[in-house]
Amino acid sequence: MSTRDLAWAVIAVVAAGCARATVVETPNLGRPATAAQIAGWDISVGPDGVGLPPGSGTAAKGAVVYEQKCQACHGAKGAGQPNDRLVGGQGTLASKTPVRTIGSYWPHATTIFDYTRRAMPYVQPQSLTDDEVYAVTAYLLHLNGIIGDNDEINARTLPTVKMPNRDNFIIMYPARPR
Amino acid sequence: MSVKWLRRLKVVPAPIMTKDETSRYTDLQADGTSLMFTYPMEVKSVITRPSHGMTLKGAGLYQISGIAWSGGGTITRVEVTSDGGRTWTAAPLSPPVLPRALTRFRLPWRWDGSASVLKSRATDDTGAVQPERDRFITDHGHNAIFHCNAIQAWGVAANGEVKHVYA
Repeated sequence: MSTRDLAWAVIAVVAAGCARATVVETPNLGRPATAAQIAGWDISVGPDGVGLPPGSGTAAKGAVVYEQKCQACHGAKGAGQPNDRLVGGQGTLASKTPVRTIGSYWPHATTIFDYTRRAMPYVQPQSLTDDEVYAVTAYLLHLNGIIGDNDEINARTLPTVKMPNRDNFIIMYPARPR
Repeated sequence: MSVKWLRRLKVVPAPIMTKDETSRYTDLQADGTSLMFTYPMEVKSVITRPSHGMTLKGAGLYQISGIAWSGGGTITRVEVTSDGGRTWTAAPLSPPVLPRALTRFRLPWRWDGSASVLKSRATDDTGAVQPERDRFITDHGHNAIFHCNAIQAWGVAANGEVKHVYA
């Protein structure tokens, strides 16, 4: 073995040692997320509508989905019980017993789509098709008197829906505490 | 968005306005408006000993102790009253006294055995003073629960029982 070959052999052994040490020194947990996995998680929808998928729905179609998938927890026509009330309460926010619902409180219609798609139905989240989510969103907007029975809700129209309480939020960040 | 369980990070140019950051962690005020993205916690304190559920074993010398904190800075002063707010005494702060950190205060108290109301009132280095409950409700209504920094009152009955009271 020449001196040069010996030098390379030493380098190779040291490098192998480093590689082994690297494996030992990390917990070696998990694996890089695949593009498909990231796409499955990357489903947030902003108030400007960025992230909304293709598809559409109307309140009339949404009523059917609601009765099958939502009503058991949210009551007939979003009246609530056993879980959150989704409809009504407009005009109560300044009272001592405010009723906060999608219609009376939520500032952005896109939030209905985002939350319903990612988290509902509670027992089987992300099981609704995008068309079903658009339809249920339209139905909840209609029950709250915000859109008509046959108004189509889709990626273009949803961000343009003006929620009744939209202008009553005061953004504090980065203001100092009072 | 959950502020409790972080699962992933996504960088966006503006708030996504998710359900919780719009409909839950916003502070509805008495006039019907709501404060949004109120991240810093306001100056607050509470007496931890004696406090609700404890019983004092007769008149005598006790140590009042509690904690104060502020999202605005460092606690500079905590005052304690045992007569429902007629007279206040500054309670020494126990080091370390650090910005945005729980700060311990202690004060010796001789209980005469009569019904008393204990309160603490903190001030931070921005000059913010913890408000009385009535003042907080006047300013913020009954529903701004996430940022309720009102003064907490403990009633001490003649039999030594300590209970939460509005006073």
